[in-house]
Amino acid sequence: MGTHKHKLCEESYFNSFYLEHIQAVNSFAFYKCGDKAASLDFVQDAFAKIWENCSKIDFEKAKTYLFTTVNNLFLNTVRHQKVVMSYAKASPYMDKTNQNPEYLLEEDEFKQRLLLAISDLSEDQRDVFLLNRIEDKKYREIAELLNISQKTVEKRMSGALKILRKKVDNLKI
Amino acid sequence: MNKETDILKWFDGEISIKDIRKKYPEEDFSVLEKAGYYSKQIEAPIIDAQKALEDFKTRTFKKEAPKVIPLNFKSFLKIAAILVVMLTSAYFVFFNNTKSYTTKIAQTETFSLPDHSEVILNAQSKLSFNKKQWEENRSLELTGEAFFKVTKGEKFTVHTPVGSIQVLGTQFNVKERANYFEVQCYEGSVSVTHHKEKLVLTPGKSFRVINNKVVLAKDFNAKAPSWLEKESTFDEIPLWQVINELEIQYDITINASKIDVSKTFSGSFTHTDKNIALQSVTIPLKLSYKISGNNVELYNYEQN
Repeated sequence: MGTHKHKLCEESYFNSFYLEHIQAVNSFAFYKCGDKAASLDFVQDAFAKIWENCSKIDFEKAKTYLFTTVNNLFLNTVRHQKVVMSYAKASPYMDKTNQNPEYLLEEDEFKQRLLLAISDLSEDQRDVFLLNRIEDKKYREIAELLNISQKTVEKRMSGALKILRKKVDNLKI
Repeated sequence: MNKETDILKWFDGEISIKDIRKKYPEEDFSVLEKAGYYSKQIEAPIIDAQKALEDFKTRTFKKEAPKVIPLNFKSFLKIAAILVVMLTSAYFVFFNNTKSYTTKIAQTETFSLPDHSEVILNAQSKLSFNKKQWEENRSLELTGEAFFKVTKGEKFTVHTPVGSIQVLGTQFNVKERANYFEVQCYEGSVSVTHHKEKLVLTPGKSFRVINNKVVLAKDFNAKAPSWLEKESTFDEIPLWQVINELEIQYDITINASKIDVSKTFSGSFTHTDKNIALQSVTIPLKLSYKISGNNVELYNYEQN
């Protein structure tokens, strides 16, 4: 028990723990707040908390602790600013063969509406939805990561889909 | 299965879009399909993990040192300390039945022993005895001076650093001071053991040891030691012993370096008035005294 517990206090172990999870947890923070700089701040703060409390944290639960801490830090910051998201540069259209300008314009418009709709989702819905979409995570994996039940994940996902469908559809008209 | 669950399953990759379309032919899933597809293209910031770690290392941490070992050690110490306190108090409560009385300078104390024998303790003296064993063994330790009125019964023993006194039931005074030891018998008979020598005192007789030498003392007529009446009486006693007694009764320091303290004094001094007491000692010996605070200096007339 003791050796496991204090593993996190060893710098080399902590460093590899950091490198292993920084990307995933930063993405999660970003889905949550939609702000690149702020999300990295949350993540660094969360890692700092883990390092400072390394002797108290069970190393097997460190990953959950990391995500929970980011979530809490996010909830603690009152400034809920506008979510700014964008698409990756090289993003193929759905119908890769269709080069009709009208189709491309339509698709671009759809993508903008989608971004808007996503940024209007609640934080909980957005991070579940984006973890599922961007990171191809199963609901079960998301539940594990966020330390919530799979039912909750499904509920959030379902809510997100309903809102997106409605909003993107409405804007279309 | 309702549609909502199926859509969830579709997004979780368990069923395909084709299955959904087949199941719900009327419904248009194109919006959801597109949303699902394009949302995959949303950019998540790519982190340069090494650089982030370097930045992270420049932070200052309020790192708490791992406390586990010192904490355990501390609590162990706490428990040990509690045990020690409990054991010692238990010892004093249950096993240590030594009762002791102590008097300071110019103080006397009267009290009864468990067998109703009466003890009057003179100034700067200490008396202790074992409460539990008292019934089997009437014996006590004394340093200093005390007067005993012993009720009749088994052997009653007073141990002093110089000698011990054994009686059955009498009244007697024991005086054990530096280089001075005296037992006076007022009633009944008192057996004194001093350096393996045993002798029996009858009323009016004294046993006196000065500077480890047994000294003969005159008989006396008093019914009780004079110090009970707040007076110290001396009968051919060396002056240094008188000075000693004055110091004990008045909390003073007497400087007698200018006089001969080996000459003897017969007489008494009161415990209630320092000046009268000093006069009653010094005048018969043709001495004078000077008081400054708690210090008294004795000197011969002629010198001044």
